[in-house]
Amino acid sequence: MLDPLQAVKMAFGSIGSAKLRSSLTTLGIIIGVAAVIANVSLGASFNQFFNDEIGAVGSNFIVIYSQNTNVFFDNELELIGNTPGVVGVSPINQQMAQVTYLSTSRQIDIQGVNEDYSEVANFEMKEGTFLTDKDQFVAVLGEEVALDKFDKKISSKNPIEITFRREDGGVVTQKFIVKGIVKDPETTFAQTGVEPEIRIFIPIDVMNGILGVDYYGGFFVKAESLETVRSTGDEIDKRLARNLGVSGRDLDDDDTKPYTIFDQVEILEDTNQLSSALTTLLTSVALISLIVGSIGIMNIMLVTVTERTREIGLMKSLGFSKKDILTLFMIESVVVGLIGGVIGTALGLGAAVLVNNFLELPNIFPVSQIGIGFVVSILVGLIAGVYPANKAANMDPVDALRKE
Amino acid sequence: MMVIRLYEGNSQLNDDTVMDVVIDIQNIRKSYLLGDMEVPILHGINLLVKKGEFVAIMGPSGSGKSTLMNMIGCLDRPTDGNVMLMGKDTRSISDNDLAELRGFEIGFVFQNFNLIPRLSAYENVLLPTYSNSKVNLDNEERARDLLETVGLGDRLDHKPTELSGGQRQRVAIARSLINDPSLILADEPTGNLDTKTSTEVMDIFSSLHKGGCTIVMITHDPEMEKYADRVVHIRDGYIENN
Repeated sequence: MLDPLQAVKMAFGSIGSAKLRSSLTTLGIIIGVAAVIANVSLGASFNQFFNDEIGAVGSNFIVIYSQNTNVFFDNELELIGNTPGVVGVSPINQQMAQVTYLSTSRQIDIQGVNEDYSEVANFEMKEGTFLTDKDQFVAVLGEEVALDKFDKKISSKNPIEITFRREDGGVVTQKFIVKGIVKDPETTFAQTGVEPEIRIFIPIDVMNGILGVDYYGGFFVKAESLETVRSTGDEIDKRLARNLGVSGRDLDDDDTKPYTIFDQVEILEDTNQLSSALTTLLTSVALISLIVGSIGIMNIMLVTVTERTREIGLMKSLGFSKKDILTLFMIESVVVGLIGGVIGTALGLGAAVLVNNFLELPNIFPVSQIGIGFVVSILVGLIAGVYPANKAANMDPVDALRKE
Repeated sequence: MMVIRLYEGNSQLNDDTVMDVVIDIQNIRKSYLLGDMEVPILHGINLLVKKGEFVAIMGPSGSGKSTLMNMIGCLDRPTDGNVMLMGKDTRSISDNDLAELRGFEIGFVFQNFNLIPRLSAYENVLLPTYSNSKVNLDNEERARDLLETVGLGDRLDHKPTELSGGQRQRVAIARSLINDPSLILADEPTGNLDTKTSTEVMDIFSSLHKGGCTIVMITHDPEMEKYADRVVHIRDGYIENN
């Protein structure tokens, strides 16, 4: 029975005795493993990035909107609010309106919402507080609106004037007192129009009163958790459809429904699908280079076995069995693979960090994937070693000893 | 009982010598296939080596003495006949057990030393124990002692390339002794050495022999005959006298 410690020592000795050759062979594996690790961890970073982006829009959210007016009323608001799993719901109406502060006027998206909106949208306040349902003529501004849009910065308690176009064609100008300013979310991806930094929020009841309407354009709903978003969304969909007279078989047909509903999980799945497709593609390319690397190991092991034919004959005469010789060369092959794996993993992670910093992505290094790098390099060494090691093990000792 | 049964029918033996027999070669033949032609090398050879004997096998090149040595060393199996080693019938032994038998019972010394160039003298001596190690021996201490015995106590960490031919062969002799084998099998051990170092190496074999070692040496040099108790001449695959 071969002493494993001595076998590993002998493998290192053999690898070290041909340094240039061993380094070149290892380089093949290093490049392969580094490419795989870099791609896999970049993929994970992209995924995390998308998740963060979508999380920045709101948490566990469900969006319902209608292209038509006069679809959603208080009745639907109540219906959604009473659906199990819903922890908050805000109706939304919006209009581009002229906003005047001191001497400047700008066109800005005005959103009528209720006090739940802040929680659904994950808002953090820069100053002041968000709207409550008791508020009247007050407004909450996005950070960019408050700081950049107007000649002078707007802060809490400043008055602004908003000019609305009413449904009946009239124009109404109303003064609002700024109640608070919403912090910019950290990320900027996801849908346009959900960017709080260039919007002004006012109480929806006030807005509907001014506009002379009683319908809502849509709802922004928060579910209990990411796990229940999907089922809660489906339940809302079912209830709304029944309420609006859509038959059961049209439930899945978005064209016949007078509204659209989607949730955070759907968006996550779409983006995850995209990024995992990308990761799979890149990783398969990297795997090809790993295969090339393992052919390199196999080639060099065959050279080593041929070169050491006499040594193999000697070891057999000294009492090493077939299995011992096989193990000896398999260990050598695995060690080459593993050295490549260790260096390749380090380089791959380093490359991923560089790219992440360059693209401003989060650094995500799942331990399992680093583990995969090691396992793959061991496997590559094993597979590449099988044929050469077998060749060595099956040598005839008399012939091998006679070889010059 | 088993030992007696194994030696059944061998006229060279009587009961009280059975335990002392190291090698008992019974009428072995060996032929190789060259293309579809069968070339016989050994034609029915019988040889008995007792414990403590120093036997020289002599013959010109092509006489079949290397083939005979491969048979004795269990590196190859005869086409016909039987090799008994330490009372074990090698015909019925698997390749794995044969390797183990070599590792424990036979110490090889080769003409071209066959040391592993990457390993130090000390590691070369230890090499056989990586695969077959006797539990009752302290291998590392024994390796140092053996190198001391062959006069290389101060060369433990030298690589083979840093040693002279005579020194290399002495490392090889120390290696052959590491597992305390029953038999030293030396194939032209002085073939690559000059006269002076040959004498030094043969002196080591002599003192091993005096210490009770069984040695079989293959040589074509008549000078070496004087070290052996018994000389076996082989020619054209036959033993000339025994």
